[in-house]
Order: sequence, then C-alpha cells, then structure tokens
Amino acid sequence: MRLLALASRNFKETYRDPLALGFLLAFPLLFMVLFGAVLSGDTIPNYSIGVIDDDNTPLSQAFIDDALANVPALEVSNYDDSAAALKDLKFGDLKAYIVIPGGFGEQVFQNWQGKETNIILDMTYDESDIMLSEQIISAINAVTRSFAHIEIPVTINANPIHIETEITYIDFIAPGIIIFGLLILIPTSARIMVSDKEKGFLSRLLTTPARPLDFISGYSICLVAIAIAQIIIFIAAAWGFGMDIVGSLWLVFLIFFLVSLSSIGIGMAVASLSKSENQAESLCWLFSMPLAMLSGCWFSIEMLPSYLRNVAYAFPFAHAIDASRAILIRGVGVEAISNDLLFLVGWAVGVFAVGIILFRRSMRG
Amino acid sequence: MSEASDDLSIQALNLTRIFNSLAAVDGINLNIKKGELFALLGPNGAGKTTTINMLCCLLKPTSGTARIMGYDILEEPFEVKQVIGVSPQETAISEHLTPEENLNLIGKIHGIDARELKLRTRELLETMGLGERAKDQVRKFSGGMKRRLNIMMALIHNPAVLFLDEPTLGLDPQARRAVWTYITRLKGLKTILLTTHYMDEADFLADRVGIMDRGKIVALGSSRELKTSLLEKHTMVIYAWNLTQRVISEMRGRYAQVEVSDGTMTITDKKLDFKEIVDLLHASGAVVRSAYIKEPTLDDIFLHITGKELRE
Repeated sequence: MRLLALASRNFKETYRDPLALGFLLAFPLLFMVLFGAVLSGDTIPNYSIGVIDDDNTPLSQAFIDDALANVPALEVSNYDDSAAALKDLKFGDLKAYIVIPGGFGEQVFQNWQGKETNIILDMTYDESDIMLSEQIISAINAVTRSFAHIEIPVTINANPIHIETEITYIDFIAPGIIIFGLLILIPTSARIMVSDKEKGFLSRLLTTPARPLDFISGYSICLVAIAIAQIIIFIAAAWGFGMDIVGSLWLVFLIFFLVSLSSIGIGMAVASLSKSENQAESLCWLFSMPLAMLSGCWFSIEMLPSYLRNVAYAFPFAHAIDASRAILIRGVGVEAISNDLLFLVGWAVGVFAVGIILFRRSMRG
Repeated sequence: MSEASDDLSIQALNLTRIFNSLAAVDGINLNIKKGELFALLGPNGAGKTTTINMLCCLLKPTSGTARIMGYDILEEPFEVKQVIGVSPQETAISEHLTPEENLNLIGKIHGIDARELKLRTRELLETMGLGERAKDQVRKFSGGMKRRLNIMMALIHNPAVLFLDEPTLGLDPQARRAVWTYITRLKGLKTILLTTHYMDEADFLADRVGIMDRGKIVALGSSRELKTSLLEKHTMVIYAWNLTQRVISEMRGRYAQVEVSDGTMTITDKKLDFKEIVDLLHASGAVVRSAYIKEPTLDDIFLHITGKELRE
C-alpha cells in the first residue's frame, strides 16, 4: 500500500515533467537517427582471426608465423579444422578465419621464381560487422602480396556467413543506442531521488511511518516501469528504422533489463552521495557519457586501445552491447552469451545492493 | 518519568546534537503540555530546526533523548512517527502533483482508509482555502498557497502533535496573517511546536515561548511573563517642546539613562513613575506633548538576554 502510493507518486512526478520524458525517450531516439546516418572511426583496430593450414608446408607455416603474425591489426590463432573456427566465429570470439588451401606453398614458390601465379585464400567472416570485414580483407590482401612478392591482388574467396539479405548500419548501431538510452537512466534516477532530497520532500516522508524499504521500492518500481517502457519503445523504434531481430526477443529484452537495473543502481548510489540535483546530474553525465563512448554505444569498441577496452569491459554496458548485437544480428542463443549474461546479472545485483545500502545510510541523520 | 508526564506531549531530556564539535543543540530540557502551542524563538542558526529534526526522528541526538506522547524518539521512532505531523521549513511538496494527490499520498502512507481520506482531504482543502485549486498541479501555486498545503500535509492524518518549522518564512504580511489564522484555529486541539525567528509570530500565536540562542533555551515562559519578569529596566518615551539643556541635565541627575533627539526624550531606569516624570518636566519648563511607558517586545528580551539583535 505505502510503496504503491510512493511508486505512483514518483511515476506522476516523472511523466508530468516534459523535460524528464524528453531525456528518457527523445534524446536516445534522436541519437539513433543521427548515428544511423553517420559512419565513424578509422583508427587501427585489433581483430581476432583464425587460420587453418590445409597446405601444411614450410612456406604456409612461414606465412602464418612471420607474415600474418606481424600485422598489427590482426591477432592470429591456429585452428585444426574449419568447424572449430566457425564455432568461435559464431560466438563472436573471431571476426574471421582464413583457410590456406593445399597448393598455397607451391603458388608462393612459383611467384618467388618470377612466375606470376594467382594466390588463393578462403576467408569466412562475420558479415554483421561491415566495417570490420573490409578492413580484414584489405589487411590480409596486403600481407599476402608482400609475402609472395606479387603486384596483383590476391584472390580471396570471401564467404560471408549468416547471410541476411541486407545488413544496414541500424543493425549495428541500434543495440548501442538502446544501451545508451538505458544509460540515461543513471542521471534520471539520480535526479528523481536527489530532487526529493534537496527539496526536503524525502525528509518530510521520513517523518511518516514509511520504512526505508518502502521508499527504495517506491523509487525502484517506478524506475523499473520506466525502463520497461523505454526498452519496448526503443526496440520498436529500432525495428521501425529497419533493425533486424534475428535471435530471441525475450533474451535481448532480458539483457536490456539487466542493464537498466545496473543504471538504476548506479543512479541510486550517486543520489545517495550527492547533496544537490546539480551535483548529481553533473556527476552522472560526467560518468555516463564517457562510459557510453567507451562501451561502444556509438562505434565499435574494437577501435579502442586495449587498456581502454579493459576499462570498458569492467562495466556492464560493453558486455550488454556485445550480447545484444550477437542476439539481434547473429541470432545466437543463451549459451553463446552466458558469460556476458552472468556478468550483467552480477553487476545488476551488486550495484543495486550497493545503491540500496548507500541510500539507506543517507536517510539516517 | 515524572508524575505529570501523562499531561506532557513533548518532553526533551538533555537533548544534544553536536556537529563537528559544535553543539547545535546543547542539552535542552523541555516539557510541553498536551494542547499547548509552544514557540521556539531564535535567530537563524540558534538550533531550532535541529531540535525539531531530532524530535521528529530525522536526526539522531548525540546524547540525551526525547519523548513524544510517551514514545521515546530513539527506542520507538515508528510509534513517534504515527502520532506526529511535520511541516518542514522548505515547502516539501510534490510539485507535479495536485494538492489532492499530495494529501492522498501522505494519508495513504499513514494507512488512512480511502473513504475517510477523501472526506478529510476535501474538508482540509476547503478550510485552508485551496478547495478551488484542488485539481491543479502544485508547481503553479503562489508561495502562500504552497505554505498552506505544506501545513495541510502535516495535518491530513490528524496527528496529536504538530511540528511547524518556520511556517511563514518568506511570506508577505497578508499571506502570513492567513497562515496565522489557520494555526490559531488549531490551538487547543493539538500540541503544536513551532519555530520562528519572527518575534511577532511567537507573540501572536504562542501560549509559551522558549527563546533559543546558540543551542540553548535561554528564557522560557509566556510572552507576558517574559516581558514583565525578565526586564529589570523600564523605558518611557516623551515628546516635548522646550527640552533645554537645563531640563536634560536635571533629568540625567535623577535617572540612570536619559537620551534626547529631535524633541524626543527616552528615559530608562529600574523604576519609572509616569506622573512624577511629567510633573518634573513641567516644573523645569518643558511642555510635554505626549508620553508613554514603552511595552517591551520579545526582541527587547532577546537583546537583553543575549546582548544581540534577533534579526538574522
């Protein structure tokens, strides 16, 4: 009864405030439109690729160990057969794998002897990441030509997998923008709570027989309801903009939901630590904007230097983007994203608990 | 507990709160009877709000305790919260809600039955003069209207004890009068503890006044008691013509303090006899136009006790 009364009040305070609504819904949607149209980034990325050596000659070995391994943009792992490589590609651990066909060593040798022979490599790559496949193909092309001393382009038989008729930027960008929209729950939830604190409304409620749990649930129910509405609207909007939903809608919803809980928990913690609305909001933006960028809301995280990537993966948002892209674009199931999922659950539970503890503490004089 | 504690609504027992080694409230002992309207008067920073915050369980005392309707604020805070209504210094209302919704929220938190709540809400809105604005969002209201709603939210669950922290802070004189009228209506029905730094407010509303300075209650009593018992000196003000140097030195020879400016003579002493002074002035050639013994104000008392002005 009490907590429902409080939740309903918090709800009214939010939906009757156009500014709050604008931030929660319009802002991320605007980003979705803008970023859908803009292509970004050309720094040197780092791609994991697999190599299967069917040729098995000293020359093919040298190609793998000396030539490919020295390309800064590539991180090469050896595979015995293409089935294992394909599995890792599907799980997102590899961006592509190449098969060195039998006769490769002979072809290279011929070129070294001055006889121009076409060199053939088979490459299978994840089509969903359109920016990456182009870069991988050109990198492999360049290194092979230099290794074989040839001027003509190498023939790379490219096999994109999981062919969807058309992959658009919206497929790639939408999960990130949705996560960004859910990141905005951090300042929003902090603002709702700090505003009550600053204006003395929380103090007034604390002189009533309501218990700390009533307040926390009152805020949480309202914010979780907002988050669910946000997720539905964002998915619907992204779908309207042309995003494909290959995998399970429920699974991707769960990912987004866990992200929301993390955001609300972080917001609650910030609210407990701040004295004023201004302080809380600045703190939240200072925190969530770089985090949005780091987590890959707007561009591929592969372009980040590794130390920054490590920072990004310490937070739940980069994991959520990876997992939701895998579900939405590659249609993977729960087993493929189980690590990300566990990480998200851990974060959501942990940060929510910390938020509650800090909030409870801030309520006592 | 003392024998008379059944009559007591609020009882502070050596109540103390220390912030960074500074005693904001310094060992206050206070007994407020049921149905009494008690005013804590003092400048900003005297410790009034800190006292109220401890009494309504928002702030833990560093030492000492208090009982509200027999419930200990440390041992039984949730029982205390059942019987009190608090109108904080800030107008703590939910801005995007209507007055009706604001009142309903507090009512529901107190577990009041829906039908009863509806009745009380309507009644309160009417008596407090907000009936016509019941469905408008509060953020469009004037300061005075918000203040009134702030007090109503402390009343909706019909508490036995009411805390009003600076109920007229920042209001214009007309709005202040309106709030005073509403508070007067509650007199005798509830125990009310109000804080103010307006002496006329304490003077007008309170049965008893506690003057607070630097965390301590430095004087306690009814407004009249404070004025008559605490002031040892009296002041008489005389408007007169022909206040010559001779007249002035004559008066200075007889009374402790005599000041003259612009044809006004102010005489201050422990004992003043109105007729004697007028006769003396006439005898020495002055023409008295008007004269009165000045009624002391709480401000004078505050100045007398603390040696400083009450305002800020």
